[in-house]
This record gives sequence, C-alpha cells and structure tokens, in this order.
Amino acid sequence: MRKLILGLVIGVFLVCSVLGSLVLGKDLTIGLSFPSLSFAWFAFLEQAVKDKAAQLGGIEVISLEAENNVSKQISIIEDMIIKGVDGVLLVPIEVEAVIPAIEALNKANIPVVTVDRRIKEGAPVQILCHVGADNVEGGRKAARFIVEKLTEKYGEPKGVVIELTGTPGAGPAIDRSAGFNEIMKQYPNIVVKSQTANFRREDGMKVMEDFIMSTPQIDAVFGANDEMILGAIQALDASGKFDVKEVITVGFDALPEALKLIEEGVLDATIEQFPGKQAATAFEILVKYLREGVTPEKPLVYIEPKVITKDNLNEAEKSF
Amino acid sequence: MSDAPILHFEKLTKRFPGVLALDGVTFSIQKGEVHALVGENGAGKSTLIKIVTGVYQKTAGEIFFEGKPVNFSSPHEALKNGIAAIYQEFNLIPALTVAENIFMGHHFVTRRFFVDWNRMRKEAQELMRFLDVDIDVDQKVRDLGVAKKQVVEIAKALSHRARVLIMDEPTATLAQKEIERLFRIIKVLKSEGVTIVYISHRLEEIYEICDRVTVLRDGRHIATRDVRDVTMEDLIRMMVGREVVERFPRVSHTAGEEVLRVEGLTRRGVLENISFSLRKGEILGIAGMVGSGRTELLRAIYGVDPIDEGKIYIRGKEARIRSPLDAINHGIALLPEERKVHGLVLLLSVLDNLGLPILPLVSVRGFIQDGRLKAIAQDMVQHMNIKTPSLFQRVMYLSGGNQQKVVLGKWFARNCDIYLFDEPTRGIDVGAKVEIYHLMNRLLERGASIVMVSSELPEVLAMSDRILVMREGRVVGELSREEATKEAILRLALGRREEYASVG
Amino acid sequence: MPVLVEEKSTQVFQKFFVFWDRVGILLAFLVVFVMFGALTPVFFHPLNILNVIRQVSIIGVIAVGMTFVILLGGIDLSVGSIVAFTGIIAAGFQVKWGGSLFLSIVVPLLIGGGIGFLNGFISTKGKLHPFIVTLGMMSIFRGATLLVAQGKPISGMSPAFRFIGAGMVGPIPFPVILFLGCVIIAGIVLKRTVFGRYIYAIGGNEEAALLSGIMVERYKISAFTLLGFLSGLSGLILTSRLNSGELVAGQGYELDVIASVVIGGTSLMGGEGGVYGTLIGALLIGVVSNGLNLLGVQPYWQMIVKGVIVIFAVLLDRLKRRFRTA
Repeated sequence: MRKLILGLVIGVFLVCSVLGSLVLGKDLTIGLSFPSLSFAWFAFLEQAVKDKAAQLGGIEVISLEAENNVSKQISIIEDMIIKGVDGVLLVPIEVEAVIPAIEALNKANIPVVTVDRRIKEGAPVQILCHVGADNVEGGRKAARFIVEKLTEKYGEPKGVVIELTGTPGAGPAIDRSAGFNEIMKQYPNIVVKSQTANFRREDGMKVMEDFIMSTPQIDAVFGANDEMILGAIQALDASGKFDVKEVITVGFDALPEALKLIEEGVLDATIEQFPGKQAATAFEILVKYLREGVTPEKPLVYIEPKVITKDNLNEAEKSF
Repeated sequence: MSDAPILHFEKLTKRFPGVLALDGVTFSIQKGEVHALVGENGAGKSTLIKIVTGVYQKTAGEIFFEGKPVNFSSPHEALKNGIAAIYQEFNLIPALTVAENIFMGHHFVTRRFFVDWNRMRKEAQELMRFLDVDIDVDQKVRDLGVAKKQVVEIAKALSHRARVLIMDEPTATLAQKEIERLFRIIKVLKSEGVTIVYISHRLEEIYEICDRVTVLRDGRHIATRDVRDVTMEDLIRMMVGREVVERFPRVSHTAGEEVLRVEGLTRRGVLENISFSLRKGEILGIAGMVGSGRTELLRAIYGVDPIDEGKIYIRGKEARIRSPLDAINHGIALLPEERKVHGLVLLLSVLDNLGLPILPLVSVRGFIQDGRLKAIAQDMVQHMNIKTPSLFQRVMYLSGGNQQKVVLGKWFARNCDIYLFDEPTRGIDVGAKVEIYHLMNRLLERGASIVMVSSELPEVLAMSDRILVMREGRVVGELSREEATKEAILRLALGRREEYASVG
Repeated sequence: MPVLVEEKSTQVFQKFFVFWDRVGILLAFLVVFVMFGALTPVFFHPLNILNVIRQVSIIGVIAVGMTFVILLGGIDLSVGSIVAFTGIIAAGFQVKWGGSLFLSIVVPLLIGGGIGFLNGFISTKGKLHPFIVTLGMMSIFRGATLLVAQGKPISGMSPAFRFIGAGMVGPIPFPVILFLGCVIIAGIVLKRTVFGRYIYAIGGNEEAALLSGIMVERYKISAFTLLGFLSGLSGLILTSRLNSGELVAGQGYELDVIASVVIGGTSLMGGEGGVYGTLIGALLIGVVSNGLNLLGVQPYWQMIVKGVIVIFAVLLDRLKRRFRTA
C-alpha cells in the first residue's frame, strides 16, 4: 500500500515536472544537491548557479535541502533520478558516502559534475568533471605573499610565522597547510609554528593568545580561513604586546569582514577562490555537455586562487 | 536430620579496615535442618553470609562445606557448589520470563546456539509443581508480586541443585498469607534434605519454622541452641546483651478530641470510599495484606498521590491537601515505608536531614540562619537519643534505628502533630524497636496522634488503641483494643474463612 | 555497642573521602599546574594566568549553572545551542535591530532563562528525562540560530558591548570577574540558602525530598532556568569577545561544561559536589589545553588528555561510592 502511494506521488510529480518544463518552454532540468542551504556559503553557490541558468536560458533548476546529512543527500539524489533530471550538480557532504548515489546516477545515465568538494579519488564511478579550488595552490600563494613581505621587512626571508590550521582531517585544512609548508620549507630562516584552531574564530583567538605568551617574536600569522585570522587579530590587538598593523596577517576565503579589515589596513591579505565562478563554470560545463555533447577537456578544472590585498580589492567576489 | 554438619565454621574471622566484623566464630549447621541466625544489626550476620557465598573473603579461620574446607571467590562459584542465597533485593531480571530467570546462566540449548525453550519451560513448571505454587512460567518477572518473585528465586536456587539455601529476612516484605506459603515451601525443601539458613528479626517465626538457632553479637558467636530449649526472652537477652524489660511498652492515654477525619476517600482502582477518624493522643493501627491499600491510603492523605473523591478534615475544618507541603502545613507528617528510599537523603548529614522540612522556618530571605538550625538539630539529637558522632555525620553511616530516629526527628522539629507511620520498625533490631515505641509514646504525651500501618501483627496489637483492617482498597472492619486478636484481624484481612483456617 | 564499632571504621573511610573531596582535585590541579610551569616558564606569567582564566570563563559560567542541574541528578545538552542562539540575538540587536545596548544584553539573558525554563518545565511536567528534552532543544536552537542569522555570522559590535567580553577592570579581564562572581555567589547559594540545600536534598533522594514537603518540580525548573540564564550570559561574553555572533558558537560546549563539573567532583548521580570543584575542574581543562598549546603539542593530544581526565574523574566517583557501601 505504501509503495503504491509512493509510486502515485512520484508519478504525479513526474508528469507535473515534465508538463511544467513544456509549458515554460524549458528543455533541461538540472538538480542541485548541496550540503545545506542554511549556510550562507552554499546559498551563495546556489545563487551563482541560478544566475548562470538565467543567463543561459531554458533551464529549470531543482534544488533540495539535505540538512548536512549524508543519508538525506543520497535519498535526494535518488528522488532526482526518479524525477528524471537531465544532469546533477553536486557538492558531496562526504567524500565516500555519496558514492552509491553516484553509481545510481551512472546507471540512469545522468551526468554528474562535482563542485567545491571532490569525491574520493579512484572511486569506481563516472564523474563528468570536477570544478574546484586548488587549495594547495592557495596555500602556496599565501606562503609566497608572506615570504615577500618578510623579505621587504628584513631584507631577507626570515622571521617567525604562526600557522593556524583548520579542523584536523578536513580536506581543505590538509591541502592549504600542505601548500603553505611546501613553500615555507624552502626558507630555513623562517620558523613556522603550527596549531589547529578548527576553522573557528573562537579557537583562533584562544590559540593565538597562547602563542602570544609562548612566542616572544611573531612576524606573520596565516589563518587557513578568515574566521581564524579574525580571531587571531583580536587576540593580537588585545595583547598590547604586538601592533596588529605591524604583524603580517593573511587569511583565506575572502569573507566580506576580512575584506573590510584589508581596506582598513589591519589584515594584509586573504586568498580568494572565486566560489561563484567555480559553481557557474561547473554548471556551464554540465549544460554544454547536455546540449551540445561537448565533453570537458580535463576531468579536473581548477579555478586559480588569487591573493587579495588592498591593491586589488575590487577583484574579490564578495561572496557573502 | 543426620549428625554430619553440612557447614562448619572454625574460628572464622573477618576484619574490615578498622572493624572486626567477625571475631573467631565457631559453630556448625546440620544437614537438613532449618537453622536460624539472629542478632542485632551489625552483629555480623550479613558478613558471615557474604563470606560463605564468596562475596567477601575471610581474614582467618576455616569454612568446611560437606566436610571439605572451601573458600569461594564469587557467589557464582558458591552457587555452582550448591550454596545459594536469597537476599531482600532480588537478583532477577524483570524483563525476562520466570522460566528464563530460573535458568539464567545455565540455559538449555539445542544445536549449541538456540535456547531450548520447551525443555526450559517444562523444567520450570516441574519446579513450580514441586514447590506447590501456581506461577505461570511464561510470565515476565516484572509482573509478579514480591512473594512470587521470592518463589522464583527459590526455584532458581533449586535449579542449581542448591543443598544449602540462605534466606535473608525472607518475610520482611510478605503478607501473612504469603508467609504461610513460604513456610510450606521451606518444609517441602527440608523434607527433600535441603538445609536452610534463616535470618530474621521476627522471633516468632523462628519458633514456628526453625530447628536450631545461632545468636551472634558484636561479631562473636554467643550461642547455638535447639529452638525448643530457649525462650524468646533468653534469645533477646543474648542478642542485645542486656535485659529488655518490655517488648511493646505502650502507655495508654485518654483520647481527646478528633484531629483528623477522612470521609469517602477514593482513588480509583486503588482506594475506595474510605472513612475514619483519628483522635488526639491515640494510635490508630492499620492492618491488612501487602497490596491492600494501606500505604496508598497514607500517601493519599499526605498529598503525594491525587485523590478522586472524598474529603479530609483537620481539627474539624476541611483541608485541601494537594502536595506534601500542604499536608505538612496542616501538621501532618509521613514516615514512609522504606526510610532509605523515601525518608532520608543518605548522602547528606544528620543536620541536613533534620533540617529538610524546617529550612524555610529558620531562614531569612532564603538565607539559612545556621545558628538556629544547629540549635534545633542539636536539640533533636538529644531529645530523640540519636547516636551520632556529630551533626555532620552522613546519615548513611548511622544504624537502622538511628536512621529511623532522624526521620522522626525532622517532624518533631516541625511541630507536626498528626503522624502517619508506615512500617515504623521494619528492618530494625529489637533494642532499637523498643526505643521507637518509646518515642511514639512520647509523641502521644505531647498531644500528637498516630496512624500506624504495620505488617507485624504483634506490634499492631500491642501498640494500637483501635485497628482498621483493609482489604482490596477498602476498610473492611474496625476493631477496638479489646476486640482485636490475631485471628480477628486475619479473618477480616483475608476475607474468606476457609483460607483463614488453612493459615491456622 | 556494635554501632559504635561500625561508626569508627566508616569514619576512617569518610575522613579519607572528605579529605579527597575537599582537596583531591585541587591537589591534582596543582600538580598539573606546577608541571606545566616547570616545562615552560612562561606558563606562570601573570598575563598567561589571566589568559587561561579568561578562556575558561566562557565555559565556566555555564559550568556553574550546570553544577546545579547535575547536583539535582539532571543534565542539559542544550547549553551550546543556547550560547549560539543568545549570541546571535545579542549580535542582532547590536548590528541589525537598532543597536540598543540595553536590549542586546537583557533580551538574550531573558531568552536564555526562557529556554532553560522550558527545559525544566517540559522534563518535569512531562516526566521526560532531561537528556531527551535538552537533546531536542540542542537541535532546535542550533537551527533557530541559523534561521535568525540567515546562515551568516553577524559582526561589528559597539565598544560598550565589547566591554562584556574584552573589557578590563584594572588588570583583570571583565569576563573573569563575571565568572568568579558567579562562582562565589553560587557557592554561597548552595551552602547557605534554602534553595541550595534543597538542591542537594532533591539530588540525593528525590522521593524523600518530596515527602519532606519540598516542591521538587519548582526547584528543578528553577535550576534549569538558572542554567539557561547563565548560558545566555556566556553567549553574551562570547559574542562580545569575538565581536561577532557566530553560527558555530558553543558547538561541543556541553562536553567541556559537563566535564568541568564532573572533574570537579560533582557526581552525575546527583546530590554530591559543589561549585568550587567545578571552578577547579574548568581551570584544569583550561590549563591542560593552554599548557599543551604553549608546549606546541599536537592538538590531537589535547582531546585524548581531556578524555582520560574525564574518565578518571568518573571512575574516582564510582570508587568512592563503592568504598562507602562496603
């Protein structure tokens, strides 16, 4: 009985959505599955996709809320298959758990493009393409920026640098730190001290307070996201021991609050990864494949991250 | 009864840090006898039992079981070797059936993994038949009453082929009829050659069911006698170590005006249309079987459980009692059945416990006035003769009798004058019992009145001015002091003549 | 009298545990304190000490309230969500809804107290275990936080509001004054007032308390309300300190808070313990985290060490009880 009702509901849904597309003259239906739209970050990505869809025209975008819950995301994708979407744009909540859902999409011949987060490498599923940020490169750029500033200050690359890393085990935390340290290792006179602050402002502040106590000299601080560097700046500011404007501070993500501090000259730089551009590009690749059968040249498309400073503030996306 | 001792203790000694709980105890228990073990709380009975069953390890001395020295390291090992103990707190799993509980730990299995339900049920039923009781072995244990749970415990011991069965206060929570059934079972077991070690504070029972009796006091062996050769007075003297003048020192007063009247009190399914009155300076006893609604009646008057119908008048005026606080404000105090569960905060000090109902009275804007509180508490300790090293002693370390005095004392301090006692002397040793009775007398002298629920008929008979008998949530009779006899109470409480006859 | 013999022996045990209850945790704390000091001299620097207490005060203020609830035999898992929600409300009043200092302080405190009241009311009147009720509330107010904030942190507080979390009174950070103030007041309340003594009585034996004429439900609801209120205060301090109402604020606080209380010797079974222990418990957690940071130890170790301390503390409580009944 329950199956019957479920079938009926799905049937009605299908007919409606097909009719709907016909009436509105839309030829493509694309499903978006993001971890949770209640986070401004993903809401921003969704908006970027919708803007792109309007620009391209003739596309219906279905977006469902997964409440940051892996199993919910899987059932959402299954529903999309039943609904008969033409393609899916996916930000997986988890790198591995989402794979069965992608298998189901493969079986139904529905192409998938992932954005922002990648699924586990080497998984036996077909992904049309992944569009993302190169977090490693972002880390490298942050490091190069700091090296450059230290060289300006001392005439040679030396000094003490604090690195606030993200939540242990999280992909971006690992990649950003890897890129950062890859560059820093080339300068034996630069001492890097690392500690996690869990991507949180509160922890950034706390850990920085402890560094201020234990480290007599601090030349630069790199926060693997803006939240942490914002916390660290407050700790520096309150310490009375350091002048925030003297210490080189670099964040990551280009949040509006960080951009404002750059404008005020407190924060020196932040790394912009152009999330909107990522999402729009991914969407465009998917549509191009569906409409024109064009397969992307590379299975991996990286949007080049950029260092945003006072000089190029207008280049930031001002994501949210 | 053969002459070979099944259990023999030789200079058994147990030392806890700072205490000598057993001090060179030597005596024997014969095969097939019912052997009573008596003594005041702290005399060493439980320690002895716990050593025999492997809960504690002895410090020195020997235990011989069937002639061989033994030293069990756990209750499980004792059980495997044929010694089982049934404590007041049962060791049953409520969510499982009677049959499963009986065979817990040695389930019958088929094909190595699967429980052999048929065999288990059949054997359980056989045990029930053997014990001559009517219990459905498929019932969940949680649905059984205390008495039936006890039978399940006995069956469980038998399923382990126990040759010695130790029973710790088995009748403490049983009604008269259930006690008779237990005694019948004990006789069946005895006829099968099972040795019973019987611990009880109720000396009457010892004369009814036991062959020999051993008295312990202060961890030492005082005497082992044939029950026939020793009078109750002798026993008490040996237990207490001094002369106890009177077991039930009741001082009679002339009853004054009515202080409490209950009219048509009903709590659906529990209490039905109960009316009675209580006069100043009297003790109204309430007798009846466990489950007849006695405790529930006290709780309803005290405002713990809501009532559906009926009125309560205090000193002629109708009182609306919706919570214990209302009751207390009307001068009513409840001394609940299990003082450790309902009456005391064991973790807190004597001072804190005595202060419970009076704190708001000795505080100003919520702040307790320490001096006043301490003065009142000190007064109570002296007045009630509470034996405690200080006001700050946690009540968990006091003896049962002194705990009961603390429960009583907190109401003294509040100047309550209607006292609802629920089993005031359960689990208290002889000497302390007498002290509680003296305190009750003193309450009456001060113009208070008492309603006393008790399962111990001698106590009800000796202490009450009038006795209400309850059955199935109703009052089925009222007896004056003169009319009241054990037989008359039982007749009313059981309701059927033939059953009474069998109790005999 | 056999009774006297028994009392003597138990007195020995009791004396030991009274001793342990009073100073055991303090001793453990001092050992850790001196150890870290020996390893990194900067640890003893007055500024660092103030840092630790300030860091601890956000958790500590809640732990003071939690001590009441745990003493009653209850538990509250929603404290972290209350911190986030009240924080975002405070930030909302500061930044979006007119910037009134008065409203941005009073409203969050009232809301915190209100949520606490609901926790207490639902669990007592509905006869539900507070674990379940507050688990639900934890989710509800995490969601409500996201809803109010529309997924974005709210930042940019006024200097006056910033004083709550970042201000100094002389050399002493204002949150430290708030925290220590709460501890002292709570200590007095628990020891000297009817409310406090009844909390112990109810936690020790609810039935006995009820039969002694204590309005058990009323006290329970009050304790939860107090905890909610203090969680709201913590939310204010955090928001003020971060200069931002954060979405993830307070996440995982319940663990640190409960750990502080338990390490401080308050029994999860209720009826035993006190707020001074909680103070030491919170400081111990803070000192361990700070000390390991100063030593540059990998963060993974902090979690492991914290877990070990908590289990050890609960084990000790269990042992204490076992010895007492033997």
